[in-house]
Amino acid sequence: MSNQLLISKVSKAFPGVQALNEVNLNLTSGTVHALLGENGAGKSTLIKIITGVYLADSGSLKVEGVEKSFHNPIESTHSGIAVVHQERNLIPEFSVEENITLHNPPLKLGIIDRKERTRLAKQALETLGFEIDLTERVKNLSVAQMQLVEIAKALVTNAKIILLDEPTASITGSETSKLFDVIKRLKSQGNAILFVSHKLEEVYEICDTVTVLRDGVSVLESMPLADYKQGEIVDLMVGRHLAERKAETRRVDRNATPVIELKNLQTSLGHRNISLSLYPGEVLGMYGLVGAGRSELARSILGLHAITGGEILVNGSVVKIRNFTEALHKYRIGYVTENRKEEGLFLDFPVRKNISVTILAKILQRLSVINPKKEDDIATKYVDRLGIKVVDNNQLALTLSGGNQQKVSVSKWLAAETKILIIDEPTVGVDVRTKASFHELITELANEGLSIILISSDLAEMVAVADRILVMRRYEFVGDLDNSKDYQSMSRSIMNSIQAS
Amino acid sequence: MKLPIFFKNRMTEFSLSVIFVIGFLALVLTSNGVFLSRASLQGFLTYLAVPIAIGLAQMVVLCIGQMNLAVGTMGGVSCAIMAVLMADHNLPIWLAIFIGLFSATAMGAINGALVVLTQLNGFIITLGTYTILLGFQYRLVKTFTIDKYPSSLPEFGKRNILGFPYILVVAIITAILLSLFFSRTIIGRRVLATGGNPLAARLSGVSNNRSIFIAHTLSGLLIGVASVITIASLPGINRSIGGDWLLASFAAPIIGGVLMSGGTIAIYGTVIAAGVVRLVDIARAQYSLDPSIVSLSVGVVTLSTVALSEWRRRRTERQNEGMKELI
Repeated sequence: MSNQLLISKVSKAFPGVQALNEVNLNLTSGTVHALLGENGAGKSTLIKIITGVYLADSGSLKVEGVEKSFHNPIESTHSGIAVVHQERNLIPEFSVEENITLHNPPLKLGIIDRKERTRLAKQALETLGFEIDLTERVKNLSVAQMQLVEIAKALVTNAKIILLDEPTASITGSETSKLFDVIKRLKSQGNAILFVSHKLEEVYEICDTVTVLRDGVSVLESMPLADYKQGEIVDLMVGRHLAERKAETRRVDRNATPVIELKNLQTSLGHRNISLSLYPGEVLGMYGLVGAGRSELARSILGLHAITGGEILVNGSVVKIRNFTEALHKYRIGYVTENRKEEGLFLDFPVRKNISVTILAKILQRLSVINPKKEDDIATKYVDRLGIKVVDNNQLALTLSGGNQQKVSVSKWLAAETKILIIDEPTVGVDVRTKASFHELITELANEGLSIILISSDLAEMVAVADRILVMRRYEFVGDLDNSKDYQSMSRSIMNSIQAS
Repeated sequence: MKLPIFFKNRMTEFSLSVIFVIGFLALVLTSNGVFLSRASLQGFLTYLAVPIAIGLAQMVVLCIGQMNLAVGTMGGVSCAIMAVLMADHNLPIWLAIFIGLFSATAMGAINGALVVLTQLNGFIITLGTYTILLGFQYRLVKTFTIDKYPSSLPEFGKRNILGFPYILVVAIITAILLSLFFSRTIIGRRVLATGGNPLAARLSGVSNNRSIFIAHTLSGLLIGVASVITIASLPGINRSIGGDWLLASFAAPIIGGVLMSGGTIAIYGTVIAAGVVRLVDIARAQYSLDPSIVSLSVGVVTLSTVALSEWRRRRTERQNEGMKELI
């Protein structure tokens, strides 16, 4: 076994955050190496350094013994590194073979050699042991098939080092086992594979060695996976630092009428037997991995996808919510989206207008004309309350940092005085300090009587904030746990409920 | 450099104002003051009214990220309707004007309804209605020039207050009302929200379909205003009316700082850009330049303004990138 990729003492800092601190990783050929860690532990940053998106601040990176430093993804590709991202980088309107040879189409006299293209694509797919119509457009494929096309695309670049970033996040169990067959094949051909996943059971099924990152430090470095039990790995991922921040449990009156209740809800997306009750002033956590169907459930409740069975009750009476407009104005339900830039903000608008968009009817003066003074006062109120760092209320949302943008995105719902707020992955991509202030804010809002459904795939966040935790997997709830606010025990119970399902 | 508060976040509009003033002074100086004579100033200002109105009509559709390709034929048809009603059916002026405005608004509403119902982009829908309306226009006017209507309307077009033609005042008042609509009314704000980010607007309880419908309808109403101005400023109506509106309707807002991607409005920018385009027109007449010079320079200015604003936008985004890159 030769050292394909050797990373030693690699560090990388961003303003306010030490994302990686002297991380070591040794990836050898013919092995599948698991890279584990919680959200924000530094996995993505490390992958981005290996693939040339970021340049490390210090440390060394060797490919087949040769010192390298990648300034862009192309240099990394030329060194035989290929990455298969969570978000697929395929062109939907192109055929399978066009996509596979996209980066380096075979040329003959300056034009694309179609025969050679077909041959290359076919060869790559044969290596994977996977058959598909090469002329089929990618948009007609299943997610799992797209993933394999993506891997084939990596193979035609003659990659020896393949990084798989959460490859099983959005595919089904049987598709996963097919993917694993492909990975085993690649491994037997001498490739080195780095496998990033949140699903420990899968990691144990496919991986040989393991590196665990925690807060940017490699706490376990390239060790044989078989030497460690699953519980030990979890402890390493989680550490003890979070357990110290033990919050007190809050008192929620579960005899009151739930502000929102779902009874055996089914949706056109495939949710089944969804039942939950949210009590006044409660923070109900909805935990699950990306693709488990949590955001989709929230959006279905708010009328975006069809409800095909069961009932929704708001304050005890059965309702039918047709769209977000009704949800907001009739039932006083708000939804803080996980995609704040794409869906949460008007980036080109000033902070003032971003906050006032939900309350225009409340800031009118005579002749039904908007009163700019009232608008500004409300904006100022929430800027102050949430500690949003702005020059003035006319600063464009575009120019704010991620954390401040998120606060603006939340503000419009607070201004609208919603009774129920669904908050979807509020702290993805924000720094640790802002994260903590968000957790405080959520608790504070709940104490003031706001009922909150918190969607998160960050276990630590769940345990820190939620009163009760529902665990979702594949569009079904597989666990309903009271939060003891003890991280270690909660993470074990949650993992157990996922494994048991 | 410290700019007056009005121009904060309005660099394009500030630059245009400077260009307008310089261009204006250059024309005055090179013409030995002839440009300041009552007649030529009148000519300049009178024919500024229509470009402003159609620029605004295009702007309201651009602000939801769509286009209205039918501005010319919508105007042509509503002019034709008014002229025919007055000339052939002896309708009173006020009623003809009302029907003219109404019909243009209705055409806009139909565009909007079709966009919403089919969920196709306004570009495709208005390309269709453009052709249909062209047929209507030709049927209504045939090859004649209709001018047998009460002369009080063209006379109104010639009158002025303090040197400003009434019809320009109409266009300016329309612009001010439109500005109030977008900054101070719920509907206006929601239309802008839809243009700025339809996904965020929807999550914020804004009905995008309603916004799209309103924007197209409003575009129709503004074309109606442009048509009334046209009929008041010309001696007669023929089938060529509206034929040269399309490029002009895009030039004013785009030079004025409106983004094709939606979410922005620039009412002052549109007005002043229309003024700059008019100056180019005057300069052509002044120096007996080839008409192609006008098309050429308007085209070049439009392209370079768009390129410049896009470049500036990317630069701002790049500057913010580092700040937001946290893990």
